[in-house]
Amino acid sequence: MLLDFDKLGGLKPFLIGLTALVCLFLILPIVFIAALSFGSSQWLIFPPPSWTFKWYQMLFADPRWLWSALTSLKIAAIVTVLSVILGFLAALGLNRGSFVGREALRALFLTPMILPVVVLAVALYALFLQLGLAGTTVGFIIAHLLIALPFSIISIGNALEGFDKSIEDAAILCGASPWEARIRVTVPAVSHGIFAAAIFSFLASWDEVVLAIFMASPTLQTLPVKIWATLRQDLTPVIAAASTILIAFTILLMVLAALFRKGRKA
Amino acid sequence: MVLSATTDGGERKIRRNGSFGYVVPALLLIAFFFIIPVLMLLMRSVLEPTPGLQNYRELLGSTTYLRVFLNTFTVAGLVTVVAVVIGFPVAWLLAIMPDKWSRLVMAIIVLSMWTNLLARTYAWMVLLQRTGVVNKMLINLGIIDKPLALVNNLVGVTIGMTYIMLPFVILPLIGILKSIDPAILRAAALCGANKRQCFTRVLLPLSLPGIASGALMVFVMSLGYYVTPALLGGTSNMMLAELVAQFVQSLVNWGMGGAAALVLLLVTMVLYAIQLKFLNPNRAR
Repeated sequence: MLLDFDKLGGLKPFLIGLTALVCLFLILPIVFIAALSFGSSQWLIFPPPSWTFKWYQMLFADPRWLWSALTSLKIAAIVTVLSVILGFLAALGLNRGSFVGREALRALFLTPMILPVVVLAVALYALFLQLGLAGTTVGFIIAHLLIALPFSIISIGNALEGFDKSIEDAAILCGASPWEARIRVTVPAVSHGIFAAAIFSFLASWDEVVLAIFMASPTLQTLPVKIWATLRQDLTPVIAAASTILIAFTILLMVLAALFRKGRKA
Repeated sequence: MVLSATTDGGERKIRRNGSFGYVVPALLLIAFFFIIPVLMLLMRSVLEPTPGLQNYRELLGSTTYLRVFLNTFTVAGLVTVVAVVIGFPVAWLLAIMPDKWSRLVMAIIVLSMWTNLLARTYAWMVLLQRTGVVNKMLINLGIIDKPLALVNNLVGVTIGMTYIMLPFVILPLIGILKSIDPAILRAAALCGANKRQCFTRVLLPLSLPGIASGALMVFVMSLGYYVTPALLGGTSNMMLAELVAQFVQSLVNWGMGGAAALVLLLVTMVLYAIQLKFLNPNRAR
Protein backbone atom coordinates (compact mmCIF):
# COMPACT_ATOMS: atom_id res chain seq x y z
CA MET A 1 0.00 0.00 0.00
CA LEU A 2 2.88 2.37 0.70
CA LEU A 3 4.28 1.44 -2.69
CA ASP A 4 0.96 1.72 -4.52
CA PHE A 5 0.46 5.21 -5.93
CA ASP A 6 -3.35 4.98 -5.85
CA LYS A 7 -3.55 3.73 -2.27
CA LEU A 8 -1.22 6.19 -0.57
CA GLY A 9 -4.15 7.95 1.13
CA GLY A 10 -3.18 10.92 3.26
CA LEU A 11 0.48 10.53 2.36
CA LYS A 12 -0.17 11.29 -1.29
CA PRO A 13 -0.68 15.08 -0.99
CA PHE A 14 2.34 15.27 1.34
CA LEU A 15 4.64 13.46 -1.07
CA ILE A 16 3.35 15.34 -4.11
CA GLY A 17 3.64 18.68 -2.30
CA LEU A 18 7.20 18.00 -1.19
CA THR A 19 8.23 16.80 -4.65
CA ALA A 20 6.71 19.91 -6.21
CA LEU A 21 8.69 22.10 -3.79
CA VAL A 22 11.91 20.22 -4.58
CA CYS A 23 11.24 20.67 -8.30
CA LEU A 24 10.80 24.41 -7.75
CA PHE A 25 14.01 24.47 -5.67
CA LEU A 26 15.87 22.73 -8.49
CA ILE A 27 14.46 24.69 -11.42
CA LEU A 28 14.02 28.24 -10.01
CA PRO A 29 17.71 29.23 -9.84
CA ILE A 30 18.07 28.28 -13.48
CA VAL A 31 14.96 30.25 -14.49
CA PHE A 32 16.06 33.27 -12.46
CA ILE A 33 19.45 33.41 -14.11
CA ALA A 34 17.88 33.24 -17.55
CA ALA A 35 15.41 36.00 -16.62
CA LEU A 36 18.05 38.24 -15.02
CA SER A 37 20.30 37.99 -18.06
CA PHE A 38 17.64 40.02 -19.91
CA GLY A 39 17.04 42.40 -16.99
CA SER A 40 18.42 45.91 -17.02
CA SER A 41 19.51 46.06 -13.37
CA GLN A 42 23.26 46.06 -12.81
CA TRP A 43 22.63 44.75 -9.25
CA LEU A 44 20.40 41.94 -10.45
CA ILE A 45 17.22 43.27 -8.84
CA PHE A 46 14.26 40.98 -9.40
CA PRO A 47 11.86 41.62 -11.00
CA PRO A 48 14.02 43.79 -13.28
CA PRO A 49 12.89 47.40 -13.93
CA SER A 50 13.07 46.83 -17.69
CA TRP A 51 14.38 44.35 -20.26
CA THR A 52 17.53 44.60 -22.33
CA PHE A 53 20.05 42.70 -24.45
CA LYS A 54 22.97 44.81 -23.30
CA TRP A 55 24.63 42.05 -21.20
CA TYR A 56 24.70 39.82 -24.24
CA GLN A 57 26.17 42.67 -26.28
CA MET A 58 28.86 43.19 -23.64
CA LEU A 59 29.53 39.46 -23.59
CA PHE A 60 30.06 39.29 -27.34
CA ALA A 61 31.93 42.60 -27.47
CA ASP A 62 34.66 41.24 -25.20
CA PRO A 63 36.83 38.92 -27.31
CA ARG A 64 38.19 37.20 -24.18
CA TRP A 65 34.83 35.49 -23.58
CA LEU A 66 34.68 34.11 -27.08
CA TRP A 67 38.33 33.15 -26.96
CA SER A 68 37.92 31.24 -23.69
CA ALA A 69 34.85 29.46 -25.09
CA LEU A 70 36.88 28.38 -28.13
CA THR A 71 39.71 27.19 -25.85
CA SER A 72 37.20 25.14 -23.84
CA LEU A 73 35.76 23.67 -27.01
CA LYS A 74 39.18 22.75 -28.39
CA ILE A 75 40.37 21.11 -25.19
CA ALA A 76 37.08 19.26 -24.64
CA ALA A 77 37.10 17.96 -28.22
CA ILE A 78 40.65 16.59 -27.98
CA VAL A 79 39.95 15.12 -24.53
CA THR A 80 36.81 13.43 -25.89
CA VAL A 81 38.67 11.74 -28.74
CA LEU A 82 41.57 10.57 -26.55
CA SER A 83 39.26 9.46 -23.73
CA VAL A 84 37.12 7.36 -26.09
CA ILE A 85 40.16 5.69 -27.71
CA LEU A 86 42.03 4.98 -24.46
CA GLY A 87 38.75 4.05 -22.76
CA PHE A 88 37.79 1.61 -25.52
CA LEU A 89 41.18 -0.11 -25.36
CA ALA A 90 41.21 -0.25 -21.57
CA ALA A 91 37.62 -1.53 -21.41
CA LEU A 92 38.46 -4.17 -24.02
CA GLY A 93 41.49 -5.30 -22.02
CA LEU A 94 39.56 -5.37 -18.73
CA ASN A 95 36.64 -7.16 -20.37
CA ARG A 96 38.57 -9.80 -22.32
CA GLY A 97 41.77 -10.24 -20.38
CA SER A 98 42.38 -12.86 -17.73
CA PHE A 99 45.55 -11.38 -16.30
CA VAL A 100 46.18 -11.12 -12.56
CA GLY A 101 45.04 -7.94 -10.81
CA ARG A 102 42.32 -7.11 -13.33
CA GLU A 103 39.84 -5.98 -10.67
CA ALA A 104 42.46 -3.92 -8.86
CA LEU A 105 43.33 -2.27 -12.17
CA ARG A 106 39.68 -1.44 -12.85
CA ALA A 107 39.44 0.16 -9.40
CA LEU A 108 42.65 2.12 -10.05
CA PHE A 109 41.29 3.47 -13.34
CA LEU A 110 38.16 4.74 -11.60
CA THR A 111 39.97 6.38 -8.64
CA PRO A 112 40.45 9.82 -10.27
CA MET A 113 36.65 10.06 -10.36
CA ILE A 114 36.17 9.66 -6.60
CA LEU A 115 39.28 11.45 -5.39
CA PRO A 116 38.77 15.08 -4.27
CA VAL A 117 39.66 16.99 -7.44
CA VAL A 118 41.57 19.61 -5.52
CA VAL A 119 44.15 16.99 -4.41
CA LEU A 120 44.67 15.89 -8.01
CA ALA A 121 44.84 19.52 -9.14
CA VAL A 122 47.50 20.50 -6.63
CA ALA A 123 49.56 17.35 -7.29
CA LEU A 124 49.45 17.81 -11.08
CA TYR A 125 50.22 21.50 -10.76
CA ALA A 126 53.40 20.66 -8.81
CA LEU A 127 54.48 18.11 -11.42
CA PHE A 128 53.65 20.41 -14.36
CA LEU A 129 55.66 23.26 -12.82
CA GLN A 130 58.68 20.96 -12.92
CA LEU A 131 57.98 19.60 -16.40
CA GLY A 132 57.19 23.02 -17.86
CA LEU A 133 53.64 21.91 -18.68
CA ALA A 134 51.90 24.39 -16.36
CA GLY A 135 49.72 26.80 -18.33
CA THR A 136 49.98 24.79 -21.55
CA THR A 137 47.26 23.18 -23.65
CA VAL A 138 48.98 19.79 -23.27
CA GLY A 139 48.84 20.10 -19.48
CA PHE A 140 45.16 20.99 -19.68
CA ILE A 141 44.41 18.00 -21.89
CA ILE A 142 46.27 15.55 -19.62
CA ALA A 143 44.48 16.87 -16.53
CA HIS A 144 41.03 16.64 -18.10
CA LEU A 145 41.76 13.28 -19.68
CA LEU A 146 42.39 11.83 -16.20
CA ILE A 147 38.88 12.66 -15.03
CA ALA A 148 37.16 11.92 -18.36
CA LEU A 149 38.68 8.45 -18.78
CA PRO A 150 36.71 6.74 -15.95
CA PHE A 151 33.45 7.75 -17.67
CA SER A 152 34.63 6.17 -20.92
CA ILE A 153 35.80 2.97 -19.23
CA ILE A 154 32.46 2.58 -17.42
CA SER A 155 30.23 3.40 -20.43
CA ILE A 156 32.15 1.31 -22.97
CA GLY A 157 32.79 -1.47 -20.43
CA ASN A 158 29.04 -1.78 -19.80
CA ALA A 159 28.36 -1.92 -23.52
CA LEU A 160 31.03 -4.61 -24.02
CA GLU A 161 29.47 -6.71 -21.24
CA GLY A 162 26.33 -6.94 -23.33
CA PHE A 163 28.16 -7.83 -26.55
CA ASP A 164 28.64 -11.48 -27.48
CA LYS A 165 32.30 -11.90 -28.35
CA SER A 166 31.63 -14.92 -30.55
CA ILE A 167 30.25 -12.54 -33.20
CA GLU A 168 33.69 -10.97 -33.43
CA ASP A 169 35.24 -14.46 -33.53
CA ALA A 170 32.91 -15.38 -36.38
CA ALA A 171 34.18 -12.40 -38.37
CA ILE A 172 37.75 -13.52 -37.76
CA LEU A 173 36.96 -17.06 -38.86
CA CYS A 174 35.44 -15.62 -42.01
CA GLY A 175 38.80 -14.09 -42.80
CA ALA A 176 38.88 -10.70 -41.11
CA SER A 177 42.00 -9.70 -39.23
CA PRO A 178 41.46 -9.22 -35.46
CA TRP A 179 41.58 -5.43 -35.73
CA GLU A 180 39.37 -5.39 -38.80
CA ALA A 181 36.83 -7.48 -36.87
CA ARG A 182 37.02 -5.20 -33.87
CA ILE A 183 36.60 -2.00 -35.86
CA ARG A 184 33.93 -3.24 -38.26
CA VAL A 185 31.98 -5.55 -35.93
CA THR A 186 32.61 -4.72 -32.27
CA VAL A 187 32.80 -0.93 -32.50
CA PRO A 188 29.42 -0.57 -34.30
CA ALA A 189 27.85 -3.03 -31.85
CA VAL A 190 28.90 -0.99 -28.81
CA SER A 191 28.34 2.39 -30.49
CA HIS A 192 25.76 3.42 -27.86
CA GLY A 193 28.44 2.97 -25.16
CA ILE A 194 30.91 4.97 -27.24
CA PHE A 195 28.34 7.73 -27.75
CA ALA A 196 27.69 7.90 -23.99
CA ALA A 197 31.44 7.88 -23.33
CA ALA A 198 31.91 10.78 -25.75
CA ILE A 199 29.14 12.89 -24.19
CA PHE A 200 30.32 12.30 -20.62
CA SER A 201 33.96 12.92 -21.53
CA PHE A 202 33.08 16.13 -23.32
CA LEU A 203 31.01 17.40 -20.40
CA ALA A 204 33.66 16.33 -17.86
CA SER A 205 36.16 18.58 -19.61
CA TRP A 206 33.82 21.39 -20.74
CA ASP A 207 32.37 21.97 -17.24
CA GLU A 208 35.53 21.32 -15.24
CA VAL A 209 36.59 24.15 -12.93
CA VAL A 210 39.05 23.06 -10.25
CA LEU A 211 41.76 21.45 -12.40
CA ALA A 212 41.29 24.26 -14.89
CA ILE A 213 41.96 26.96 -12.27
CA PHE A 214 45.34 25.36 -11.57
CA MET A 215 46.19 24.62 -15.20
CA ALA A 216 45.24 28.06 -16.54
CA SER A 217 47.57 30.94 -17.30
CA PRO A 218 46.70 34.56 -18.13
CA THR A 219 46.87 33.65 -21.83
CA LEU A 220 45.22 30.23 -21.60
CA GLN A 221 41.77 30.22 -20.02
CA THR A 222 38.81 27.95 -20.50
CA LEU A 223 35.28 29.31 -20.15
CA PRO A 224 34.83 28.10 -16.54
CA VAL A 225 38.12 29.79 -15.57
CA LYS A 226 36.95 33.03 -17.16
CA ILE A 227 33.61 32.82 -15.28
CA TRP A 228 35.45 31.98 -12.05
CA ALA A 229 37.85 34.90 -12.37
CA THR A 230 35.00 37.32 -13.16
CA LEU A 231 32.84 35.98 -10.32
CA ARG A 232 35.58 36.57 -7.78
CA GLN A 233 35.46 40.28 -8.65
CA ASP A 234 31.74 40.99 -8.89
CA LEU A 235 28.35 39.53 -9.74
CA THR A 236 28.00 41.29 -13.09
CA PRO A 237 24.93 40.30 -15.16
CA VAL A 238 27.33 39.46 -18.00
CA ILE A 239 27.85 36.16 -16.17
CA ALA A 240 24.08 35.65 -16.19
CA ALA A 241 24.18 36.01 -19.97
CA ALA A 242 27.08 33.57 -20.28
CA SER A 243 25.34 31.13 -17.93
CA THR A 244 22.11 31.32 -19.91
CA ILE A 245 23.95 30.38 -23.09
CA LEU A 246 25.53 27.43 -21.25
CA ILE A 247 22.10 26.36 -19.94
CA ALA A 248 20.65 26.51 -23.44
CA PHE A 249 23.55 24.36 -24.60
CA THR A 250 22.81 21.84 -21.81
CA ILE A 251 19.14 21.61 -22.78
CA LEU A 252 20.17 21.04 -26.39
CA LEU A 253 22.46 18.18 -25.33
CA MET A 254 19.67 16.65 -23.21
CA VAL A 255 17.24 16.78 -26.12
CA LEU A 256 19.86 15.21 -28.42
CA ALA A 257 20.51 12.42 -25.90
CA ALA A 258 16.77 11.79 -25.53
CA LEU A 259 16.29 11.68 -29.31
CA PHE A 260 19.21 9.29 -29.61
CA ARG A 261 17.72 6.99 -26.98
CA LYS A 262 14.35 7.06 -28.73
CA GLY A 263 15.99 6.31 -32.07
CA ARG A 264 17.73 3.30 -30.60
CA LYS A 265 14.51 1.87 -29.19
CA ALA A 266 12.62 2.21 -32.47
CA MET B 1 36.49 -19.13 -24.29
CA VAL B 2 38.18 -20.62 -27.33
CA LEU B 3 36.23 -21.80 -30.32
CA SER B 4 37.23 -25.14 -31.78
CA ALA B 5 38.57 -23.56 -34.90
CA THR B 6 38.33 -25.10 -38.30
CA THR B 7 41.51 -23.62 -39.66
CA ASP B 8 44.96 -23.46 -38.21
CA GLY B 9 45.32 -19.72 -38.34
CA GLY B 10 41.81 -19.09 -37.02
CA GLU B 11 42.40 -20.53 -33.60
CA ARG B 12 45.60 -18.67 -33.08
CA LYS B 13 43.99 -15.43 -34.08
CA ILE B 14 41.05 -15.89 -31.73
CA ARG B 15 43.00 -16.88 -28.64
CA ARG B 16 43.98 -13.60 -27.12
CA ASN B 17 46.77 -13.65 -24.61
CA GLY B 18 47.82 -10.10 -25.26
CA SER B 19 44.79 -8.36 -23.79
CA PHE B 20 46.93 -6.79 -21.07
CA GLY B 21 48.47 -4.73 -23.87
CA TYR B 22 45.16 -2.89 -24.34
CA VAL B 23 45.21 -1.40 -20.87
CA VAL B 24 48.82 -0.21 -21.17
CA PRO B 25 48.11 3.28 -22.63
CA ALA B 26 45.56 4.07 -19.90
CA LEU B 27 47.85 2.58 -17.27
CA LEU B 28 50.79 4.73 -18.38
CA LEU B 29 48.61 7.85 -18.21
CA ILE B 30 47.41 6.98 -14.71
CA ALA B 31 50.89 6.04 -13.50
CA PHE B 32 52.68 9.14 -14.78
CA PHE B 33 50.03 11.76 -14.18
CA PHE B 34 48.09 10.40 -11.24
CA ILE B 35 50.06 8.02 -9.02
CA ILE B 36 53.47 9.69 -9.32
CA PRO B 37 52.32 13.29 -8.77
CA VAL B 38 50.11 12.37 -5.81
CA LEU B 39 52.97 10.43 -4.21
CA MET B 40 55.35 13.30 -4.89
CA LEU B 41 52.99 15.74 -3.22
CA LEU B 42 52.71 13.50 -0.18
CA MET B 43 56.50 13.20 -0.03
CA ARG B 44 56.80 16.97 0.03
CA SER B 45 54.52 17.10 3.08
CA VAL B 46 57.14 15.22 5.13
CA LEU B 47 60.22 16.70 3.43
CA GLU B 48 59.52 20.45 3.25
CA PRO B 49 60.78 22.72 4.66
CA THR B 50 62.78 20.14 6.66
CA PRO B 51 62.29 16.36 6.90
CA GLY B 52 59.91 15.40 9.69
CA LEU B 53 56.29 15.50 10.72
CA GLN B 54 56.15 19.16 11.74
CA ASN B 55 53.63 20.00 9.01
CA TYR B 56 51.20 17.45 10.40
CA ARG B 57 51.81 18.64 13.96
CA GLU B 58 51.00 22.18 12.92
CA LEU B 59 47.96 21.16 10.91
CA LEU B 60 46.41 19.00 13.60
CA GLY B 61 47.59 21.08 16.53
CA SER B 62 46.46 24.62 15.78
CA THR B 63 42.95 25.89 16.51
CA THR B 64 42.85 27.79 13.19
CA TYR B 65 43.12 24.56 11.23
CA LEU B 66 40.87 22.63 13.62
CA ARG B 67 38.20 25.24 12.82
CA VAL B 68 38.62 24.32 9.14
CA PHE B 69 38.15 20.60 9.89
CA LEU B 70 35.12 21.39 12.04
CA ASN B 71 33.62 23.57 9.27
CA THR B 72 34.22 20.85 6.71
CA PHE B 73 32.60 18.06 8.70
CA THR B 74 29.71 20.26 9.87
CA VAL B 75 28.81 21.38 6.36
CA ALA B 76 29.24 17.90 4.86
CA GLY B 77 27.14 16.39 7.65
CA LEU B 78 24.38 19.01 7.37
CA VAL B 79 24.24 18.72 3.59
CA THR B 80 24.01 14.93 3.83
CA VAL B 81 21.19 14.96 6.40
CA VAL B 82 19.13 17.58 4.58
CA ALA B 83 19.65 15.93 1.19
CA VAL B 84 18.55 12.52 2.53
CA VAL B 85 15.54 13.85 4.46
CA ILE B 86 14.28 15.78 1.43
CA GLY B 87 15.51 13.32 -1.17
CA PHE B 88 13.98 10.14 0.23
CA PRO B 89 10.30 11.18 -0.09
CA VAL B 90 10.96 12.50 -3.60
CA ALA B 91 12.63 9.25 -4.67
CA TRP B 92 9.75 7.32 -3.07
CA LEU B 93 7.13 9.23 -5.06
CA LEU B 94 9.20 8.98 -8.26
CA ALA B 95 9.46 5.22 -7.86
CA ILE B 96 5.68 4.72 -7.79
CA MET B 97 4.08 7.65 -9.62
CA PRO B 98 2.75 7.30 -13.19
CA ASP B 99 5.48 7.43 -15.85
CA LYS B 100 4.10 10.56 -17.48
CA TRP B 101 4.76 12.64 -14.34
CA SER B 102 7.94 10.97 -13.19
CA ARG B 103 9.49 11.68 -16.56
CA LEU B 104 8.85 15.42 -16.09
CA VAL B 105 10.37 15.42 -12.58
CA MET B 106 13.34 13.40 -13.84
CA ALA B 107 13.92 15.93 -16.62
CA ILE B 108 14.04 18.74 -14.03
CA ILE B 109 16.49 16.80 -11.84
CA VAL B 110 18.77 15.97 -14.77
CA LEU B 111 18.64 19.54 -16.09
CA SER B 112 19.74 20.94 -12.74
CA MET B 113 22.47 18.29 -12.52
CA TRP B 114 23.82 18.96 -16.00
CA THR B 115 23.77 22.73 -15.70
CA ASN B 116 27.24 24.18 -15.39
CA LEU B 117 28.39 24.13 -11.76
CA LEU B 118 29.52 27.76 -11.84
CA ALA B 119 26.19 28.87 -13.33
CA ARG B 120 24.34 27.14 -10.49
CA THR B 121 26.63 28.60 -7.83
CA TYR B 122 26.33 32.06 -9.39
CA ALA B 123 22.55 31.71 -9.26
CA TRP B 124 22.69 31.09 -5.52
CA MET B 125 25.11 33.97 -4.98
CA VAL B 126 22.56 36.25 -6.63
CA LEU B 127 19.47 34.74 -4.98
CA LEU B 128 20.94 34.76 -1.47
CA GLN B 129 22.58 38.20 -1.48
CA ARG B 130 21.32 40.92 0.86
CA THR B 131 19.07 42.47 -1.78
CA GLY B 132 18.36 39.10 -3.37
CA VAL B 133 15.06 37.39 -4.07
CA VAL B 134 15.12 35.12 -1.03
CA ASN B 135 15.57 37.96 1.45
CA LYS B 136 12.98 40.09 -0.36
CA MET B 137 10.45 37.26 -0.29
CA LEU B 138 10.98 36.58 3.40
CA ILE B 139 10.54 40.29 4.19
CA ASN B 140 7.40 40.57 2.06
CA LEU B 141 5.96 37.53 3.79
CA GLY B 142 6.64 39.22 7.12
CA ILE B 143 8.86 36.40 8.38
CA ILE B 144 11.82 38.72 8.94
CA ASP B 145 12.13 42.51 8.94
CA LYS B 146 15.84 42.90 8.19
CA PRO B 147 17.68 41.03 5.44
CA LEU B 148 19.52 37.94 6.69
CA ALA B 149 23.17 37.26 5.92
CA LEU B 150 22.69 34.18 3.76
CA VAL B 151 25.88 34.32 1.75
CA ASN B 152 29.60 34.54 2.62
CA ASN B 153 28.94 32.15 5.48
CA LEU B 154 28.26 28.47 6.07
CA VAL B 155 24.48 28.93 5.58
CA GLY B 156 25.09 29.87 1.97
CA VAL B 157 27.52 26.99 1.49
CA THR B 158 25.03 24.49 2.95
CA ILE B 159 22.17 25.72 0.74
CA GLY B 160 24.31 25.75 -2.40
CA MET B 161 25.81 22.32 -1.73
CA THR B 162 22.44 20.74 -0.87
CA TYR B 163 21.20 21.97 -4.23
CA ILE B 164 24.11 20.23 -5.95
CA MET B 165 23.96 16.99 -3.94
CA LEU B 166 20.18 16.32 -3.98
CA PRO B 167 20.20 14.49 -7.35
CA PHE B 168 22.96 12.18 -6.10
CA VAL B 169 20.65 11.02 -3.31
CA ILE B 170 17.44 10.86 -5.34
CA LEU B 171 18.63 9.07 -8.48
CA PRO B 172 20.17 5.90 -6.89
CA LEU B 173 17.32 5.67 -4.35
CA ILE B 174 14.68 5.44 -7.09
CA GLY B 175 16.22 2.17 -8.29
CA ILE B 176 16.38 0.74 -4.76
CA LEU B 177 12.77 1.67 -4.01
CA LYS B 178 11.58 0.28 -7.34
CA SER B 179 13.24 -3.04 -6.55
CA ILE B 180 11.17 -3.48 -3.35
CA ASP B 181 8.22 -5.80 -4.01
CA PRO B 182 4.95 -3.96 -3.14
CA ALA B 183 3.52 -7.35 -2.11
CA ILE B 184 5.74 -7.27 1.00
CA LEU B 185 4.00 -4.10 2.13
CA ARG B 186 0.59 -5.53 1.30
CA ALA B 187 1.49 -8.57 3.39
CA ALA B 188 2.52 -6.35 6.30
CA ALA B 189 -0.79 -4.50 6.09
CA LEU B 190 -2.74 -7.77 5.96
CA CYS B 191 -0.93 -8.92 9.08
CA GLY B 192 -2.27 -5.87 10.86
CA ALA B 193 0.54 -3.34 10.56
CA ASN B 194 -0.68 0.24 10.41
CA LYS B 195 0.82 2.80 8.06
CA ARG B 196 3.45 4.01 10.47
CA GLN B 197 4.56 0.45 11.20
CA CYS B 198 4.63 -0.39 7.50
CA PHE B 199 6.93 2.58 6.99
CA THR B 200 9.28 2.27 9.96
CA ARG B 201 9.45 -1.54 10.06
CA VAL B 202 9.25 -2.52 6.39
CA LEU B 203 9.84 0.25 3.85
CA LEU B 204 12.55 2.12 5.71
CA PRO B 205 14.66 -0.93 6.69
CA LEU B 206 14.43 -2.27 3.14
CA SER B 207 15.66 1.00 1.65
CA LEU B 208 18.30 1.57 4.32
CA PRO B 209 21.24 0.13 2.33
CA GLY B 210 20.45 2.57 -0.49
CA ILE B 211 20.02 5.49 1.89
CA ALA B 212 23.28 4.73 3.70
CA SER B 213 25.20 4.31 0.47
CA GLY B 214 23.82 7.53 -1.04
CA ALA B 215 24.41 9.43 2.21
CA LEU B 216 28.01 8.29 2.45
CA MET B 217 28.65 9.21 -1.19
CA VAL B 218 27.23 12.71 -0.68
CA PHE B 219 29.22 13.11 2.54
CA VAL B 220 32.48 12.13 0.85
CA MET B 221 31.82 14.37 -2.16
CA SER B 222 30.96 17.31 0.12
CA LEU B 223 34.14 16.90 2.18
CA GLY B 224 36.35 17.55 -0.82
CA TYR B 225 34.25 20.22 -2.53
CA TYR B 226 36.08 23.35 -3.55
CA VAL B 227 34.15 25.63 -5.91
CA THR B 228 30.88 26.15 -4.05
CA PRO B 229 32.44 26.75 -0.60
CA ALA B 230 34.97 29.13 -2.13
CA LEU B 231 32.27 31.24 -3.79
CA LEU B 232 29.37 31.03 -1.31
CA GLY B 233 31.42 30.85 1.89
CA GLY B 234 33.35 33.68 3.45
CA THR B 235 37.09 33.87 3.88
CA SER B 236 36.69 33.46 7.64
CA ASN B 237 35.02 30.06 7.44
CA MET B 238 37.08 28.03 5.08
CA MET B 239 36.69 24.35 4.23
CA LEU B 240 39.44 21.75 3.82
CA ALA B 241 39.68 21.83 0.01
CA GLU B 242 40.01 25.62 0.11
CA LEU B 243 42.77 25.27 2.67
CA VAL B 244 44.72 22.93 0.35
CA ALA B 245 44.34 25.37 -2.54
CA GLN B 246 45.26 28.35 -0.39
CA PHE B 247 48.47 26.76 0.90
CA VAL B 248 49.58 26.11 -2.65
CA GLN B 249 48.24 29.14 -4.52
CA SER B 250 48.65 32.10 -2.20
CA LEU B 251 51.09 30.89 0.45
CA VAL B 252 53.24 28.66 -1.83
CA ASN B 253 53.71 26.36 1.16
CA TRP B 254 53.94 22.93 -0.48
CA GLY B 255 54.72 21.14 2.77
CA MET B 256 51.50 22.25 4.47
CA GLY B 257 49.53 21.93 1.23
CA GLY B 258 50.67 18.33 0.86
CA ALA B 259 49.82 17.57 4.49
CA ALA B 260 46.29 19.00 4.17
CA ALA B 261 45.86 17.12 0.90
CA LEU B 262 46.91 13.85 2.56
CA VAL B 263 44.40 14.33 5.39
CA LEU B 264 41.63 14.95 2.85
CA LEU B 265 42.77 11.98 0.77
CA LEU B 266 42.90 9.63 3.78
CA VAL B 267 39.43 10.56 5.05
CA THR B 268 38.01 10.12 1.53
CA MET B 269 39.69 6.75 1.00
CA VAL B 270 38.65 5.33 4.38
CA LEU B 271 35.01 6.37 3.87
CA TYR B 272 35.08 5.04 0.33
CA ALA B 273 36.47 1.70 1.53
CA ILE B 274 33.62 1.48 4.06
CA GLN B 275 31.19 2.19 1.24
CA LEU B 276 32.62 -0.61 -0.94
CA LYS B 277 32.87 -3.12 1.86
CA PHE B 278 29.59 -2.70 3.70
CA LEU B 279 27.23 -0.64 1.62
CA ASN B 280 27.70 -1.76 -1.94
CA PRO B 281 24.18 -1.40 -3.37
CA ASN B 282 25.00 -3.84 -6.17
CA ARG B 283 25.57 -6.53 -3.62
CA ALA B 284 22.62 -5.67 -1.43
CA ARG B 285 20.17 -5.91 -4.31
